[in-house]
Amino acid sequence: MSDQPLFSPRNPWFGISVGVTAAIAVLSAIAGLIWLPLAQPNLKLAGVWDAICSAAGVPRAAVQEAGVKPDFKTSNVVMTSEMLTKVDQVSIGRGATLAQRCAICHGPQGVSDAHSPNLAGQFAAVTYKELNDFKTGARVSVVMGPFAAAMSDQDMKDVAAYYAYLPRVPSDNLDTGRAAPAVVVTGAPMRNIPPCGSCHGDIDNKAGSPWLGGQSAVYIKAQLEAFASGARRNDISQQMRNIARRMTPEEIDQVAHYYEAQP
Amino acid sequence: MATETDHSLGEAVAARIERRWATLSIVIVGLLVGMAAYIGIHQATMPQGRVETADPKTLHLSGEFIESNLGSEMEADGSVTVRAIGQQYSFTPQCVVVPAETPITFRATSADVVHGFLIEGTNVNTMLVPGYVTALPVRFKAPGDHVMPCQEFCGIGHQGMWGKVKVIDKAAFRDLAAAKRRLTCVD
Ligand SMILES: [Cu+2]
Repeated sequence: MSDQPLFSPRNPWFGISVGVTAAIAVLSAIAGLIWLPLAQPNLKLAGVWDAICSAAGVPRAAVQEAGVKPDFKTSNVVMTSEMLTKVDQVSIGRGATLAQRCAICHGPQGVSDAHSPNLAGQFAAVTYKELNDFKTGARVSVVMGPFAAAMSDQDMKDVAAYYAYLPRVPSDNLDTGRAAPAVVVTGAPMRNIPPCGSCHGDIDNKAGSPWLGGQSAVYIKAQLEAFASGARRNDISQQMRNIARRMTPEEIDQVAHYYEAQP
Repeated sequence: MATETDHSLGEAVAARIERRWATLSIVIVGLLVGMAAYIGIHQATMPQGRVETADPKTLHLSGEFIESNLGSEMEADGSVTVRAIGQQYSFTPQCVVVPAETPITFRATSADVVHGFLIEGTNVNTMLVPGYVTALPVRFKAPGDHVMPCQEFCGIGHQGMWGKVKVIDKAAFRDLAAAKRRLTCVD
């Protein structure tokens, strides 16, 4: 026994155990890579090689074209959290010149006393996205449409950079003691409403969500109502419509006044 | 001489025991492979058959996940494809409508971070991973409502993120599908 080499083809134990192990491996591979994938009709495999590749997890781009195209313009902005976050002095300077034509409604310091949105201190990505959506028609406004139509992509970036650079100015209705409504802090989980603050900056900021502090209550309310009714549809993949639709008129009123009173 | 007989006897016993244990181990391995295969065929639980990618940043620009293409679609073979996306902090469509007793394929992906995709009362429980398409076959036995919560912590608004799946009668769904090509039950 001891003079017989253990790992040798002449040792029947060795031959049989290696053979059986290899057979199990081959059979399992055939079952897992070929038989099981082909047994799933919904995978619509092109053949044995396709079955092996898909079972092995070779990634491929989903190439399905949309069968139903939108009958309205949707936003074409590619939003990322890094977008327009680098401060560029040249861009701010150009933006300051370009922004003179915005001052009639949005105020010379980016703070409006009509119900146009305040732009001072707004995230640059937000101002840029809205301008772009006005230009493409994804957001409809008889006032803003023609202004945006005349702007180049760089113009929009510059104006956005300029307004982001201006300091935020609290509104006349500033009241930091005002208690935050539940929908701002905790949302209404039972009604599919996340907290406003989880995107709009009080708790966390989601790319493309505007800073709302000091914004006119009339404006906030009008926008929430427009999202809820579907009159405004430039929120990418319905991210705001999904929420506004679930809010009660009282909640809309509460958040509008709450944010107006914030710095 | 007596020791020689003892030795060969011991060797025979050892070989027999060795053979039995080896057979038992092979049977156990075979059984486990067989179980995996059986479960795979009968779709009790299964990893996805295909890995498909989709750029989370541009889902809204082109391809099957643009806004107007989301919802339930009746295919020519009578099956139904549901397309949906998860994003911070909602599913679109917020309410998915599907027929009962019909083969359904969910195709969904995430526009930002990892979200969960779970349909209460069914064995659907997977993840929506940015960059990848989650595709899974489902069949609902009877009409009824199911909640579809995001079960993967996806950020500070996670608790508000859920959708609904409304399973309706097959004939009623066919009537709806005749009037509109992408169906949802968002009110
Ligand atoms: Cu989520």
